[in-house]
Amino acid sequence: MTSVMQPESGPTGQVAMVFDLNKCMGCQTCSVACKVLWTREEGEDHQWWMSVNTQPGRGTPKDWEDMGGGLSGGKPAPGRQPRREDFGGGWDFNYQEVFYGGKGNKTHLRPVENGDNTTSWGMNWDEDQGAGEYPNAYYFYLPRLCNHCTRPVCAEACPTGAMYKRREDGIVLRNEEACLGSRFCMEACPYKKIYFNYARKVAQHCIMCFPRLEEGVAPACARQCPGRLVFVGMLDDTDGPIHKLVNEWGVALPLHAEYGTGPNIFYVPPLAPYRLHEDMSIDYETPRIPPEYLESLFGPKVHTALDKLKTELDTVRSGGSSEILDTLIVYHWNELFGEYTTDPASLDRSPASVAVQLTTKPAG
Amino acid sequence: MEREGTPSATVSPALAGRPGRTDGIDEYRRRWTWDEVRWASHCIDCYPGNCPMRVYMRDGKVVREESAAEFPTYMAGVPDMNPMGCQKGVGWTRLLDAPERVLHPLRRVGERGEGRWERVSWDEACTEIADAILDAIEEVGPEAVIAPSGCNLGTLALAGRGKFMDLLGGITTDLNAEMNDFAAGYYMTWGMFDPVSSIDDWFHSEVFLIWFGNPAYTRIPHNHFIAEARYRGCEIVNIAPDVSPSAVHADYHLPVRPGSDAALALAMCHVVVAEGRYDETFVTEQTDLPLLVDPSTQRYLREADLVDGGSDEVFYAWDTATQQAVAAPRGTLRWGAVDPALSGTFSVDTLTGVVEVTTVFDLVRERLDEFAPERAAEICGVHADVIRDLARKVASKRTNILGSLNAASKHYHGDLIERAQCLLLALTGNWGCHGTGARAWGAGFFDGLLTFAMKTRRGPDETAAVLDMRDMMMKAALDADPTLTEKVWSVEMARSGTMGNMGGMVPPVFLWYRFAGFRDIWTRAEWHDASMPRPFDEYFDEAVAENWWAPADLPGADQPPRVLIECGGNVLRRTRGGSQVLLEHLWPRLRMVVTMDVRMSATAAYSDIVLPMAQQYEKVGFGIPTSHVMHLTFCDKAVEPPGEAVDEWEAFRRIAAKIESRATERGVGPYTSGTRPRDPRQIHDAFTAGGTFVDQEAIVDEMLRDTALAGTIPAEASLDEIRRRGFFRWEGLGIMPRAVAQATEPRPDETFVPFRKHVEDGDPYPTLTRRAQFLIDHPWFIEAGEHLPTHKDPPASGGDHPFQVSSGHNRWSIHSLNTANKLMLETHRGAPHLVMNERDAAEIGVGDGELVRLHNDKGEFRVAVKLSPTARPGQVIMYNGFDDYQFPGWSSPNNAEPGMFKWLHLAGGYGHLRYWATEWQPCPVMRNTRVSIEKA
Ligand code: SF4
Ligand code: SF4
Ligand code: SF4
Repeated sequence: MTSVMQPESGPTGQVAMVFDLNKCMGCQTCSVACKVLWTREEGEDHQWWMSVNTQPGRGTPKDWEDMGGGLSGGKPAPGRQPRREDFGGGWDFNYQEVFYGGKGNKTHLRPVENGDNTTSWGMNWDEDQGAGEYPNAYYFYLPRLCNHCTRPVCAEACPTGAMYKRREDGIVLRNEEACLGSRFCMEACPYKKIYFNYARKVAQHCIMCFPRLEEGVAPACARQCPGRLVFVGMLDDTDGPIHKLVNEWGVALPLHAEYGTGPNIFYVPPLAPYRLHEDMSIDYETPRIPPEYLESLFGPKVHTALDKLKTELDTVRSGGSSEILDTLIVYHWNELFGEYTTDPASLDRSPASVAVQLTTKPAG
Repeated sequence: MEREGTPSATVSPALAGRPGRTDGIDEYRRRWTWDEVRWASHCIDCYPGNCPMRVYMRDGKVVREESAAEFPTYMAGVPDMNPMGCQKGVGWTRLLDAPERVLHPLRRVGERGEGRWERVSWDEACTEIADAILDAIEEVGPEAVIAPSGCNLGTLALAGRGKFMDLLGGITTDLNAEMNDFAAGYYMTWGMFDPVSSIDDWFHSEVFLIWFGNPAYTRIPHNHFIAEARYRGCEIVNIAPDVSPSAVHADYHLPVRPGSDAALALAMCHVVVAEGRYDETFVTEQTDLPLLVDPSTQRYLREADLVDGGSDEVFYAWDTATQQAVAAPRGTLRWGAVDPALSGTFSVDTLTGVVEVTTVFDLVRERLDEFAPERAAEICGVHADVIRDLARKVASKRTNILGSLNAASKHYHGDLIERAQCLLLALTGNWGCHGTGARAWGAGFFDGLLTFAMKTRRGPDETAAVLDMRDMMMKAALDADPTLTEKVWSVEMARSGTMGNMGGMVPPVFLWYRFAGFRDIWTRAEWHDASMPRPFDEYFDEAVAENWWAPADLPGADQPPRVLIECGGNVLRRTRGGSQVLLEHLWPRLRMVVTMDVRMSATAAYSDIVLPMAQQYEKVGFGIPTSHVMHLTFCDKAVEPPGEAVDEWEAFRRIAAKIESRATERGVGPYTSGTRPRDPRQIHDAFTAGGTFVDQEAIVDEMLRDTALAGTIPAEASLDEIRRRGFFRWEGLGIMPRAVAQATEPRPDETFVPFRKHVEDGDPYPTLTRRAQFLIDHPWFIEAGEHLPTHKDPPASGGDHPFQVSSGHNRWSIHSLNTANKLMLETHRGAPHLVMNERDAAEIGVGDGELVRLHNDKGEFRVAVKLSPTARPGQVIMYNGFDDYQFPGWSSPNNAEPGMFKWLHLAGGYGHLRYWATEWQPCPVMRNTRVSIEKA
């Protein structure tokens, strides 16, 4: 296999993303966009490198937040390897039986998991269930992918050195030729965003669409998100929206920063409708989503972030203007993507020309 | 497994030793390759859809698609529309070789629905179909050939089915009744149900009422405009019984009692009127509120009341300047020198003596007194203070009511809800300017589809002649009656069936009543509103006897259906009232059931012959042309269809060819249907215009050029041009009545909002009074107490049962197109589910994921529950679209839905209460069906 090695010196940086959860409608377009591009080969059926879950919820893999991993006090914390059934999904369906089996309505179309007719979990099993009590039920959507962590404990745990963090953009990658399928990375990753390919016996995870980034094209999930809410760019680009949202305004926060790995995916935390009193009048005081729940996800800074958003909303509602909200509106869609605004349809990516590129890059 | 601490910003020591590695990843560079790119979209009814996509191909196969995202900014300060798409769309490729795909003509060998098939040739299949059609014509007449109108029709299907059925003289049932997307209350008010603003116009709103819609599910490509409007200061109010997925990003959620929304709207109207916050100028000019009415009869004062032989369609207002009743102008909304009183009691000399008259406004105000906030709060469950607060906001801000497609129409009293919404918008001046309005679904603009049906050769001259003739007819009409405008004339032409009557559609109510078992359902008085004073049959018979629906009241009682051709839909899945009633009553009458589809649908499964159709990307076509997105969106043919699949035009052409030869062999000669002679021995010749229109590229190229001629898209439009550009933005309204009726010229640098000609220029509405009309003084309406907006509780459809089952479009499929798609099934539980509140579930003892049985006096179905506190106790939600064969015993929720409609919707003989394609007609509903639920 051709190996492509970048020079050992040269620019370093970290590509990052901000998801504005106040625009996310849980449509899974990002998930499907990722899936049809990267995980449609053998052994990849159950893999959703990008997935969106309803929070509060058990998510994917089921109860991943209880599985450990990450760092504690700077040292690797014990973690559990998610099992195939924790992910669920990757089902077969009895199409042939239903359509051509001659059984008529004595059978019906259903998923077949592990050879029987029961299913127990999938990538979005607890969709739209949420928490709370009617009419003050609440939930929001949380898109998740590999955080391309500043301190990738997955790679640190890899006994064969197959995993690495790329120098120029900080993307965490895996040499699948070298991966022996030990799955220590899956134990170590606290976000449980690594999948195991049971056919090829290698681990796989989000590659941040690096072939696209290399051509100046935004990742498939971000570029196709119809919610227009996924910012992509270099974290240290001080003119870019990501730097402003994360570092300047503090309205975008990492998920579970306490896991210690320095995630590079950030979230604008969710507002929610006002609660209702028992008599159905509006309770302007008590937040619908319990603040402690949001804090458990996004840390204590979530309160100031939400306060800031509310203040800005008040400002525009009384006729003022807000740079933060104007940034989140994204008047021009391409403003989401920093330097990654190339239209993929404009590229020549014929297999032949790409093969030439691969072989003409300096070998290492 | 306790984890704590702050994120480490330092690169780990383990990695420090291997900087700059990028090895072992070329495989992914290879996966992202292609050798050809084409424009695409999905020409289905994901209305409004129209998302421009790029299809990426490798080695002659479609590999994947990606949102094109090439829209410019149209209006300064408004976000662009990029990147339209949804999860179904960006994974459509997976449907091309899906296991539910049908690739060869199939003929049933077992019983219908048994699932035993044999492969037959196209020739065999077409011969059987042709003979069945000819038998039907000989034994009954062409009206025995029925095409239900599914809405997932691409351009070639619309053209093919439309022309085929037209040449045959068969019956195509109206899609809007079949899918229950007709907003009767909007129609009563405006004379059309479908004013539609562009999605980017939502950005201008200051108050957004998500009301009878769930855009987070159903408007995935457009939902961002709501979030973005919010960031600009708009307040988002979600009004729904459940804490719906669209409540997640709202500022307020108002948990209204199911079906009580009219009370909420009328209470807001009450506040607006009582506090003097109404827009007097707007209602005086735009609506019938200043018109005079006799309170003793609740009827308008008409010229016929005043003068011998006077008109029934001239109405009056009280001029405060001259202190007399003056006729309201019919050609304009402007009152000129007249200063109409909005309120008051006045004496008028009529033919029967002096009568005290008042205004519609006063009658409405009197009625609103029943809906003071405290009183309404008891009905609708929304707190009176909340009602007041919201009413004041609506009165002072640009307010937009967004039902995704306005699902109010899916309620028995949906018309009352819509009329109350319209009244609120009228009183607050909220239509005809940016960021305002209410909407259903709109179409039109693609004039080439209309003119294509008449073409006998290629080239512009026939179309130019049609356009000229239309101009001449319009000029003559407007000269003869100066009160007409282009809009009123166009709509009247459509109502008279002269223009724009898509493929000879008829309201399906006559087929359903006479031959499909629905009479037994609709005549159950206890499932109707208690205010229906007479038996249902009396109304039906009167409507027929009065010829209110002629000539569209087909099939006649002596025209039993024999052949059914389902193309572009899934009638067994879709029909309110369910597959059971159709299979029991309609199916046995049918000698031949043909389904043309890309996949095995429930209807296909119960067919005699299934014909394999080309998927998206395997044929050319366009998205539904609508002002919602303001673009004609192109979907190219990127690859040949697999197996023996063909596009729908070609399929109908093959059947037509076979009819032609079999008719000649059998000696089935010319016949007359309606008023037109038809000849099956020449049907293929007529279908293809002597062989001119066989090739799909020629057909759509012709349509594009003709549409350009009509001024709707750029003059240079052609197939080549749209292949380069992917889409065209609307430049004009063209000639299609539903487009003309939008009553706003599209502007290149503005978002689109309908009704500007009414509001800015005073153009009249196509209603009886030529005004937005709140009094419908048809005798049936007066009898029912529904002549004015009001609220009525939903009837107990389905019987006396404790739960109400509600519904809505699901997130995971466009109707039933993707419900069996493995990729989408993986994004939920892989099977249908019923959303139920945990407390209800505890009471009946079921846990999450367990099967329940829902049953009522109509039918039953079984489904797994999904527990959520978002569901309102007592109400369960069964999102629709799942195909029958996904439920145990293939019994879908429709089998428990009675499929009732309000008897008043059979009314006619009254101004605008007159059928035209997709407009005024009865549409069965399904919300608030009563059911009992127990563990299965
Ligand atoms: S595509 Fe965008 S809106 Fe949809 S789930 Fe993903 S992040 Fe959310
Ligand atoms: S999210 Fe997990 S897999 Fe991704 S870099 Fe961080 S630790 Fe590694
Ligand atoms: S299916 Fe419809 S809504 Fe989805 S991407 Fe295609 S055109 Fe857009």
